[in-house]
Amino acid sequence: MTIQAVQTRGGISARAAVLAYVVVCGLVLLLMMVFGLLMRLTQAQWIDIQPDLFYVIMTMHGAGMVGIAGLCGATVMWYFVRRHVPVTTGIFVANLVFFLIGALLILGSGFIGGFGAAWTFLFPLPAHSGDLWSANAAAAYMFGLLFIGVGFLLLHLDIARGILSVYGGLGAALGVKQAFGLAPESEGPPPAVAASTMALIVNILGILLGAAVLVITLVNLYVPSFAFNALAAKNMIFFFGHVFINATIYMAVIAVYEILPVYTHRAWKTNQAFYLAWVLSTVFVLIVYPHHLLMDFAMPTWALVLGQVVSWLSGLPVLLVTAFGALTNVYRSGIKWNTAAGLVFVGAAGWAIGVIPAIADGTIEVNSFMHNTQWVPGHFHTYLLLGTIAMFLGFLTHITPRSNNAWAPTGFWLYVVGGSIFVLAFLTAGAASVPRRYAVHLPSWLPYDRVGSIGAALVVVGVLILVVRFLVSVTSAAPEEAGA
Amino acid sequence: MNNNGRLLLIAGAWLILWLRPLRIALEGDMAVHMTVQVPLLIGLGLLLAVSIRGQEPHWLAEADWLGIPGIILVIFGTSFWMLPRALDSAVADPWFDAIKFLSLPLLVGLPLGLSWRRMPPLGRAFIWANFIPKLGAIGGLYLAAPTRLCAYYRLDQQATAGWTLIVIAVALGTLWFIAAFVGWPPQHAAARPPSRDTGSKPGPPLLALPPPYASSR
Repeated sequence: MTIQAVQTRGGISARAAVLAYVVVCGLVLLLMMVFGLLMRLTQAQWIDIQPDLFYVIMTMHGAGMVGIAGLCGATVMWYFVRRHVPVTTGIFVANLVFFLIGALLILGSGFIGGFGAAWTFLFPLPAHSGDLWSANAAAAYMFGLLFIGVGFLLLHLDIARGILSVYGGLGAALGVKQAFGLAPESEGPPPAVAASTMALIVNILGILLGAAVLVITLVNLYVPSFAFNALAAKNMIFFFGHVFINATIYMAVIAVYEILPVYTHRAWKTNQAFYLAWVLSTVFVLIVYPHHLLMDFAMPTWALVLGQVVSWLSGLPVLLVTAFGALTNVYRSGIKWNTAAGLVFVGAAGWAIGVIPAIADGTIEVNSFMHNTQWVPGHFHTYLLLGTIAMFLGFLTHITPRSNNAWAPTGFWLYVVGGSIFVLAFLTAGAASVPRRYAVHLPSWLPYDRVGSIGAALVVVGVLILVVRFLVSVTSAAPEEAGA
Repeated sequence: MNNNGRLLLIAGAWLILWLRPLRIALEGDMAVHMTVQVPLLIGLGLLLAVSIRGQEPHWLAEADWLGIPGIILVIFGTSFWMLPRALDSAVADPWFDAIKFLSLPLLVGLPLGLSWRRMPPLGRAFIWANFIPKLGAIGGLYLAAPTRLCAYYRLDQQATAGWTLIVIAVALGTLWFIAAFVGWPPQHAAARPPSRDTGSKPGPPLLALPPPYASSR
């Protein structure tokens, strides 16, 4: 029995599943962006939100954005990798269901239960709320994360199963032999397979460690005398968080490899450097996480040094081959630019630009000044908002029916200009030592907040246009298809 | 070895494990109890599954859909014998210990041996992926516990058990990863796509997916 026959018997259409993912991603992305805008407007003192609610919104925005960025990346990855290896549509749908259950639990923990310990849920803070939230609210948040983790675990394991059936081993699917010149480049895996393999290797490891620390935190919530080592818990949380958010980029970057060639009419060139970059980045992503703990004096010195040195190298291999590859793919190709091509190109650029302030912050001497400033949200919003999300929006626009293009350029420019203003406001505020995660700001910080708010509002409008355009095109095209 | 020989070996090993000096030695330390005696008893059940697989009733194989009921039984069985109170009772009461000696081979090892083969690869991977961090988390909780969890084991033995579980979790995780990374001969190597297979066409009129993987290409 062929894979197609199994999928047909299951009755789940891959097309409907991708459509559901894109709709959920678009809507949740918008909701989380509105949360972010509300926070910036509060800091700008243009609206009044009490600090306890501010921290709830901050927690929901942080956890929600990490989760939805993961879902956006998973959509892109699954859409393209299914061309190359057998995957199960039912498992893809199961991931979405687990995600939605988890998201509801997390939203309930915040807006009903008042949980506001930030996405990092740093041990033992969830159990010490100062009566702002109950143990049950914190538990709902933990179970929400566990549900999302279970869904992603299933998805990655299913893709791993498909990859192993075609390539035999994850090493072969990553192009290890090609990376070290032991096999011809032409026999290497396609970019979508190499990237999916990297993402599943790091994400499975991250999710497993994350699940372990979540279970420990749950026990601590109800039996506080079970006091796990707080530094070990922080290491596990940041390993999980760092790996998961980085994997969102490595999944979404498949959009650059697959969509840009459509418009340049040139295949994406894979070579030894490409495969070596993916192999090195797989290792670096796993060992670089201590750069999140540079302020923790109790960390072993060797770990901090490792965090700093690997920070300088971590994102570079894949970033360089992707950015250079994008430039060479476009150069003199005669490309006719449109919104989809523009967005994936901006995605590669946003990622490349965002890594520069990130590398600066990964340096111990710099980090000791910048760690708690808005420099940090500045750099990660650069490569997430203008990187990962731009790649996803490029994908969304790429698969949008061709009939309705009038609003797409408007959405594109609002998004890119607004996004640039938004991240620059964060970075300049960080350079001026404006602290991050403060609900209430001093008058001298307000100009940064107000410029940032305007940028955020433009981003929301731009994304709204692109998402609404997709929804309208899909709903208007559906009857045509039914009649065809 | 033929079937009868294998059954004799299982019965002999079971009796040797039940002999008081060996039983006391293996149950005298929490880590040894959890990571040596319990797996050995489960291993006897696995061997038993190999012996009776040919005689398994058809209705049982049909009822054990995808191996899920059997594996659920395994999860409940192993979870119960991970409870400190269950371990305590096994040390304190020979009758309770006898229940352990019967339940681990028959309600854990045997269904594991029968159901594992029926479970699809994704299910097996999911079980491994749950089992490994669970071992690590329980090890961490043993280390974090402020008091003795078992009346019959000292705090230092409890800590040793915690570290042992963490080491086993790390070792299993590493081996699992190496096995998947190195891999085995692929089923559909001939159907590998070329490395420059990029650039799917956009899809008029609506969300036309690129063609899925087909093993026959």
